[in-house]
Amino acid sequence: MREVAEGDLDAFGQIVLRHQKLAWGIAYRFLGDQHEAEDIAQEAFLRILDAAPRYKPTAAFTTYLSRIVTRLCLDHAQKNRPLPIDSRPVVQDMNPSAAERMAVQDRDRAIRTALDRLPPAQRMAVVLRYFGGLDCRSVALAMDTTVKSVERLLARARDTLEPLLADHLKE
Amino acid sequence: MRCEKVRLKIDAYVSGELPPRVIVAIEQHLKACDGCRQAAAVARRLIALGQALPTPPVPDGFAQRVQAMARQRIARPTPAASSWNLAAWWRLVPAPMHAAAAAVLVIGLAVGLVMGWTTLPTNQVPPAQATAQANPLDAYNLDYLGDAPSGSLADGYLALVSSPAQEGK
Repeated sequence: MREVAEGDLDAFGQIVLRHQKLAWGIAYRFLGDQHEAEDIAQEAFLRILDAAPRYKPTAAFTTYLSRIVTRLCLDHAQKNRPLPIDSRPVVQDMNPSAAERMAVQDRDRAIRTALDRLPPAQRMAVVLRYFGGLDCRSVALAMDTTVKSVERLLARARDTLEPLLADHLKE
Repeated sequence: MRCEKVRLKIDAYVSGELPPRVIVAIEQHLKACDGCRQAAAVARRLIALGQALPTPPVPDGFAQRVQAMARQRIARPTPAASSWNLAAWWRLVPAPMHAAAAAVLVIGLAVGLVMGWTTLPTNQVPPAQATAQANPLDAYNLDYLGDAPSGSLADGYLALVSSPAQEGK
C-alpha cells in the first residue's frame, strides 16, 4: 500500500489481482447481480487507491477491503430495491449431469430468494459469516459494529432463513 | 445459561470461537434444550451450505478495467476532489481574507437591517378611514344634512357622527 500511495499503479494492479475474488464474492453474494457487483467491487478498489496516502495498517488488508465493500453494498441497498429474482442470471455450475445442474440452480435460486427476504444488515452478516467464512469478530470489523450486534443479526437471520431453506437444510 | 443467550452465541459456538468455560456452559444447556440444539444444527448447516455454493468467477478483464479506471483517475483528479468545497476553501485562505469575509457579512447584515427598518410598514390607517375619523361630513358626503333644522332627526344624526371628530380636534 505504501507503493500504491506513491502512485505505483503496478503495485495497485497486484492488489486488485490478489483480492478481486474477495471483493467480487461479497458484492455478488449480497446483491445477486453481476453488473452491480462488478460496479461495487471496482468502486471499492478505486476508493482504496484514493485513500492509499492515508492508509494505516491497523487490521489485515482483507478486513479493510471487506469493510469498504460492505459499506458500499449497504449504501447501495439503501438506495435500491433488490432485483426481481427472475431477472438474475444463475451461476453456472460445472456438474456434468443435467439433473444435478438443475438441483444446484434450484438451490441457488432458493438461497437468493431467502437472502432477499432479509433486511440489508442481516443479509450482509449472513453473506460474510456463512458464505464468506469469516468469524463473528471479523464480520463485526467488516460491518463496523460490535460482535454482540453481529450475534443478534445472525440469530434473527437464522430464524428467517430456517423455514425458507428447510428443504436445503436437511441433513 | 438461558436460551436467549445461547441462541446469540450459537454461531460462535459451532465454529469454535468461544472460550472453554462458555463452550462447557452451552454444551450443558444443549443437552437439556431441544430448541437450542435445533438452532445449533441450523447454524452448522447454513455454514455447510455457504461453503458448498460455487463461488461465481470474477468477470473476465475485471482487474484490467479497474487498472484502466485507476490510470484515468490519477491522470485527472476526481470530480469530488476538484469540486468547490467551502470548508476546505475557508481553511486554505489566509487570516486577512477571513477578516474581509466577516466584514462583508457584517456590512451586509447592517445594510439589510437599515433597509428593512426604513421600509417597515407603520400602523397607518387607510386614507378613507383616516378622513372619516378626521371629518365624517367630508368622508361620507353628509354636507347636505348641514341645512337640517335644529332638533330634527337629521340634525341629531349629524351631531352623533361628527361629535368624535370634533372632540378629536
